[in-house]
Amino acid sequence: MGILTIVIGIQNWQLLSSLWSAEFGTSWQKLVLTLTLYVSIGTNFTLLAGFTTVITSVLFGTSVALLIYYTKTVQNMPTRMTGIGISGFGGMISGLFGIGCAACGTFLFSQMLFLFGAGWLLTWLPLKGEEFGLLGVILLIYTNYLLVKKIREPLICPT
Amino acid sequence: METQQPNKNILTTLAVPISIVIAGALIALAVVFSGGTSDQVVVNQPQVPVAQKQEPEGNLEAVRPVDANDHIKGDIDAPVKIVEYSDFECPFCKRIHDTLNTVVENNPNVAWVYRQFPLEQLHPVKAQRAAVASECAAELGGNDAFWQFTDGYFADSTTGNNRTDQDTLIPALIAKIGIDQEAFNECANSGRYDDHIAADVENAVETGGRGTPWSIVIGPDGKTLPLNGAQPQAAIEQIIELVQ
Repeated sequence: MGILTIVIGIQNWQLLSSLWSAEFGTSWQKLVLTLTLYVSIGTNFTLLAGFTTVITSVLFGTSVALLIYYTKTVQNMPTRMTGIGISGFGGMISGLFGIGCAACGTFLFSQMLFLFGAGWLLTWLPLKGEEFGLLGVILLIYTNYLLVKKIREPLICPT
Repeated sequence: METQQPNKNILTTLAVPISIVIAGALIALAVVFSGGTSDQVVVNQPQVPVAQKQEPEGNLEAVRPVDANDHIKGDIDAPVKIVEYSDFECPFCKRIHDTLNTVVENNPNVAWVYRQFPLEQLHPVKAQRAAVASECAAELGGNDAFWQFTDGYFADSTTGNNRTDQDTLIPALIAKIGIDQEAFNECANSGRYDDHIAADVENAVETGGRGTPWSIVIGPDGKTLPLNGAQPQAAIEQIIELVQ
C-alpha cells in the first residue's frame, strides 16, 4: 500500500500540490479526491505497469517483513544483510521507474530522459521503459530469496 | 563440499555490490530528477524546438485563454472549462477522450477544449500528422468536423502508440465527414498549422505539461487544477465540483 501510495503520489504530484495548496474547496473534498486517485491504477497505468506496481508493493512488503523477522532473530546484522536491504530498495526504486504511461511520457523514467534530451532512447526499448518495473520485480524476488536463505541458515558461531 | 562454498560466497558477495551499484545509480538519477534541478524542459518538435527556463511545476495561469478559435465541445460560456493537451497516438489520450466525452455529456456546465500536444520523441511523424489532419478537418468542415475527426481517430486507431495505419484511417475519416479529399491534401501538405501546433505544445509545457494527456480544469474566479494522465471519471467530476 505504501508503494502504491508513492506511485500514485508521483504520478499526481502536480494535482496534489495544487489541490492541497488551493484556498478553495473543503478539506473533506480534497481528501475524497486524493483517495479517489487510487482508482487511477485502473485508468492511468498500462496493464503491465499496474501489474508490476502491485507485485512490487507485495514483494517490498514481504522483504521488509522478512528483514524485520531476521533482525529480530539475529541480533547483529551482518554486513551482507545491508546489501540485501539495498538490493530491495533498488528493486523498489527500479519498480517506481517503470510505472506510468510509457507511451505518453508521463512516467518517471521517460521524464528523466526528456530532461537529459534523450527521450528518443525510449523508442529503442521494446517495452518503452517499462522494463524498469520488471527489473524491480526481479530484484525484489532476488532480495526475498536471499532473505529466506539467510533465515533458513542455522545459527552458528562462524569460525 | 568444501570447494562449492567459496563459489557460493563469491556469488553472494558479487550480488550485493551489483545491487548496490544498480540501486545507487537509480537513486542518484532520482535525486537529480527530484532535487529541483529540472528547471529546463525540452520538447523536440520538428518546427519549433521549445526550451524554456521555468518552474518545475509549470504555471497553470499561463494557460492560453479559451476563445472562439479553440476546438470546443460544449458551451464556450460554460462556467467550467477543461483544457486538454493531447496526442492522437497516445493510448491514454484515447482513454481519457472517452471519459471526457461522458463528462461533457453529463455536465452541461462543462466545456471541453482540445489542444495539440504531439510527442514527437515518442510518436515520431504520426502524432504530428494526425494533429495537422485534425486542424485541416476543422478548417474545411468547422468545429463539428474537428470533433468527428477526433472522436473517429481515437475510436478507430485501436492501439495508437505510433502503430496507427494512418494511410487508411485518415482518408477514411475525411471521406466519412464529407470533406473534399483534394482540399484536405492541400491543407495537410501546406504546413500552415505547424506553428499553431507548436504554439499549443509550447503552452502545454509552459503550464507544466510533461506528457499526455495533460489537462487543466478552469473554474469561475480563476480557480484552476491540473489533471495529469487518464484519470477516472469520478476524480474528474470531483475536480469540476471543486473549481465551481
